[in-house]
Amino acid sequence: MRELSVSVFLFLVVAVNVLAQGPPIFTDTPIMLGLESRGVRTFGNIVSRQKANAYIHPVAFPYNITNKWQVGIVAPFVSISSDGIGDRSGFGDLQVFTKYQIFQKDGKAKTFRGLIKLTEVFPTANNSEAPALGTGANQTNLSLVTGYVTTKYGLYTELGYNATSDNLPDNIVYKLAFGYPLLPQKYPPKQVNIFFELLGNYVLDNVGNNMFFAPGIQYIAGRKLLFESGVQLPLGEASPEGQKTNYVLRIGTRVLLF
Amino acid sequence: MKNIIILFLCLAFGTTLQAQNQVELTGKVKVEVDGLSCPFCAYGLEKKLKDLNGVTDIKIDVKNAFALLTVKEGKILSEETIRKKVKEAGFTARTIKKVIDEG
Repeated sequence: MRELSVSVFLFLVVAVNVLAQGPPIFTDTPIMLGLESRGVRTFGNIVSRQKANAYIHPVAFPYNITNKWQVGIVAPFVSISSDGIGDRSGFGDLQVFTKYQIFQKDGKAKTFRGLIKLTEVFPTANNSEAPALGTGANQTNLSLVTGYVTTKYGLYTELGYNATSDNLPDNIVYKLAFGYPLLPQKYPPKQVNIFFELLGNYVLDNVGNNMFFAPGIQYIAGRKLLFESGVQLPLGEASPEGQKTNYVLRIGTRVLLF
Repeated sequence: MKNIIILFLCLAFGTTLQAQNQVELTGKVKVEVDGLSCPFCAYGLEKKLKDLNGVTDIKIDVKNAFALLTVKEGKILSEETIRKKVKEAGFTARTIKKVIDEG
């Protein structure tokens, strides 16, 4: 059960959320250009659980091969402090991903798009001592990401299947996000966006459902820079007592390099 | 003789089509862009349009969904070239037309 808990913990915090590249803060976006074209995204996740705390700091490097096809790599640094077990820091599991846009319907000041995302998580973290810095298992995630985005609001969905090795249970990942800009739209941008997200992970093999409500705020400081923060608050968790999440706080930035 | 007439018609028709595809681009050109829904995403569009030879300034109006290009005098850009750049940026170009300065 401990292995399972670690798996769910890392999957929710690292594998899925790190790959969210555009607005909103935790859910992925089907709009690949502009926000993601040869940029860097990095942020810190402070994870508070009943008997453990962790700081996870991934850096994501996406690269657009075409305007519809993107590849990328994510390298997370992980620091865990677990009650009664000890403290450890180091690099977590390395991830690679690819995204391909499968449809796009544009209108005046609005767009509806969808993409397929394939993510592979490699068990590269050092798990020789406890607490483990990674899952110790391969994970393959296939997701459908859609978004209906206008200048007045944005609706985003993500639905995926996460297959794991080493007899760990597979997961169904689902996310829903609503974004709303508070300032008038202009360019170069100076904007404040607020987001309300629902993040879920249904673990198969009769393990159960994990669900979080995640409000967040985003400040777009200019053409190439934005800052964002959000918090995940648990609505229900299948994790055993003692390992449930208190909250996950994210503070991050996205920078377009060129 | 028949072949010459056909050749002449083809050339004339082709030239007309090409002319229709050219925009007189000395001054300002308004490019209406569909799919432009978030200001941060507009950076990609601005970046691609800057690649166009002869474009000296770009203003993007996200709310009204268009880009206003200032084209250097004497430079000619085809509508097709502009559409291609907009597409590369991940958007869809709608109407492209020269803006007539009033006054």
